[in-house]
Amino acid sequence: MKGRLLVILLAGLAIGALLAWLLVTGTTHVALVEDVIPAEPPPTPTPAPEQRITLFFAGGDGLLHPEIRTVPLPEDTAARIRIVFAELLAGPRSSLQPILPYPAELRALFVTPGGRAYLDISGPPEPLEGSATELMMVYGLVNSVLLNTEVVAVQVLFEGTERATLTGHLDLSRPLVLNKDLIGR
Amino acid sequence: MRKTVLIALVAILLVTTGLQAQTLPPRLEFRHQGLKIETTPVRNHVEVSPIMTLLGGEAAFSASAGVWALSLGEHLVQVAPDRRLVLVNGKLAEVQDAPISSPGGIAVRLSFLDDFILAPFGFHLEPIVGGYSIVPGVSSGKPITIRPAAADFSATTTLVLSLDRAVEATVEARPGGGVVVLLPRSAPRIESPNRLRSRRVRSVVAAPGRLEIDLSPTIGLISWNVLTGPDRVVMELGTVPPTPTPAPIIARPVERSGPRPIVIDPGHGGDDTGAVGASGLSEKELTLVIARRLAQALRSAGYPVRLTRDGDAGRALTDRAALANRLDARLFVSLHANASTVASVHGAETYYMSLDDRASDEAAQFTADLENRAGGAGLQGGSTLDLILWDMAQSEVLNESARLALRVQARLNALLGLKDRGVKQAPFVVLTGATMPAVLVEVGFLSNSEELEQLASPTHQQGLADAIALGIGDFLVGQ
Ligand SMILES: [Zn+2]
Repeated sequence: MKGRLLVILLAGLAIGALLAWLLVTGTTHVALVEDVIPAEPPPTPTPAPEQRITLFFAGGDGLLHPEIRTVPLPEDTAARIRIVFAELLAGPRSSLQPILPYPAELRALFVTPGGRAYLDISGPPEPLEGSATELMMVYGLVNSVLLNTEVVAVQVLFEGTERATLTGHLDLSRPLVLNKDLIGR
Repeated sequence: MRKTVLIALVAILLVTTGLQAQTLPPRLEFRHQGLKIETTPVRNHVEVSPIMTLLGGEAAFSASAGVWALSLGEHLVQVAPDRRLVLVNGKLAEVQDAPISSPGGIAVRLSFLDDFILAPFGFHLEPIVGGYSIVPGVSSGKPITIRPAAADFSATTTLVLSLDRAVEATVEARPGGGVVVLLPRSAPRIESPNRLRSRRVRSVVAAPGRLEIDLSPTIGLISWNVLTGPDRVVMELGTVPPTPTPAPIIARPVERSGPRPIVIDPGHGGDDTGAVGASGLSEKELTLVIARRLAQALRSAGYPVRLTRDGDAGRALTDRAALANRLDARLFVSLHANASTVASVHGAETYYMSLDDRASDEAAQFTADLENRAGGAGLQGGSTLDLILWDMAQSEVLNESARLALRVQARLNALLGLKDRGVKQAPFVVLTGATMPAVLVEVGFLSNSEELEQLASPTHQQGLADAIALGIGDFLVGQ
């Protein structure tokens, strides 16, 4: 009896879900492709306004430290991410150290309508070591993207593939959010 | 009740992390009737539109419904990103993995492509070098070789089915006794079945898409897991209550006598060396040495201890907390040695788990704040029932893990003369799914020449082991 009720309930739920699915209108479910594998930012007719951005680099204490610089920053999320990545790759201007342990290339970039960014970067030329290397690289990137865009989570892919982990520590199989613990004072 | 929710949720986490989907190569080829296309998989999903073109069909997006209509001849399949419901020729089906939004519009898992797109059109995938051929007819299943091995313990038997490839396996207790392992779209073959010796497992027999396992009377399924690296299905068998219960997907603790052990996990091992110092000292060697010293210190303080490895053996990351869960461990402590590209970085650090994706919505909050500041409406907080339950269950274990981390770090700070080194949270694979207080200790940096010298000294190794043991003791006394 209980089982039958459950079946009826499940059937009701399924029909409800189907109806909701079919009757949904508007553009809420449209997947907006924000950006597809451009090697370089597209030329903009009018220069983007100069804005302050916060970039994270590695300190001698093993933590991330902010470096603020002023760059032309467009409105578009994907374009902003590309600029943040390029600035991180260019490296710190202060006594801080780079977070990218190798000259990584941003191969592709994809932002979902829900604000999740997927950054596909080239893989390390040789295996990396240590959780600190992994934490600085990944969270330096994640924190920098999150603080300068409206993205809520970032997943880093390597060579177009989801990697479970880079040095055997951090779980890279899902989008990551801001990590304040790794930011030094 | 709360504990049940906790175990169930953690088990879901365990199972979802255990069921690693197939990793696709950077480029994948599809052939059909002399034509071929090459695609770039998106997060292990395959773009649908080019495949429809290859088949001579059509993929059309309806913006009003948010649904993709895939049509070929009279057949119509309707799918939508992030939805686990599919309409196949007007009939509703539920799928395990929802399609995702992709640069090309919509992308699906290979199994999805085979079962819900190609099958309704009368095709299936046949593996070829570099990709797949799309051929007419029904798939007979991909061959899979299974090597069974059993270990009988006093109260239970662990049955391991080693697989030669990843598969989405599910294990169910048969109503009349015994167990069935479902291997969808697979043609299983058993390697050396006669070598299986167990007083609880009678036989393992292969059938299309499934394995039938006969057990001794009163013996049933206690728990099961699908693990990777290498791919295998592991099940715990033992005496089960006579009332038929649904197949547990929960790794329930094994019957245990005596106090709950502390599980120490020496990081890395086998082929996985971990970090290596300039002197040649490797992380896997160092973690084992300190783990053994730590085990000794804890045992002499009266705590039972188990190591996840007691030798230079490889062990999958996901396996380590799973072992602690099976042993119903009191604590789980994973030991590592660090390396940084910044040579001056040194010192010991203690981490505990963060559940970035679900529990920590700080970034969403942060963005919402930004939007509010900018005059926007802010983001919707995802306060659904499952999120609340999840948070409730997780926060209990996380609070305990934080307390354990603080105690351990305090002792390490005292030993090393570190001033303001706090504990940190990060999503570590090895801590994922642990159902007890769990921490990861980085004992020091092999990349720092001074610390490397210290780490190589037995006195310092003992000091680190003692400090961690004291921290654990502080935590357990305060519990
Ligand atoms: Zn390690």
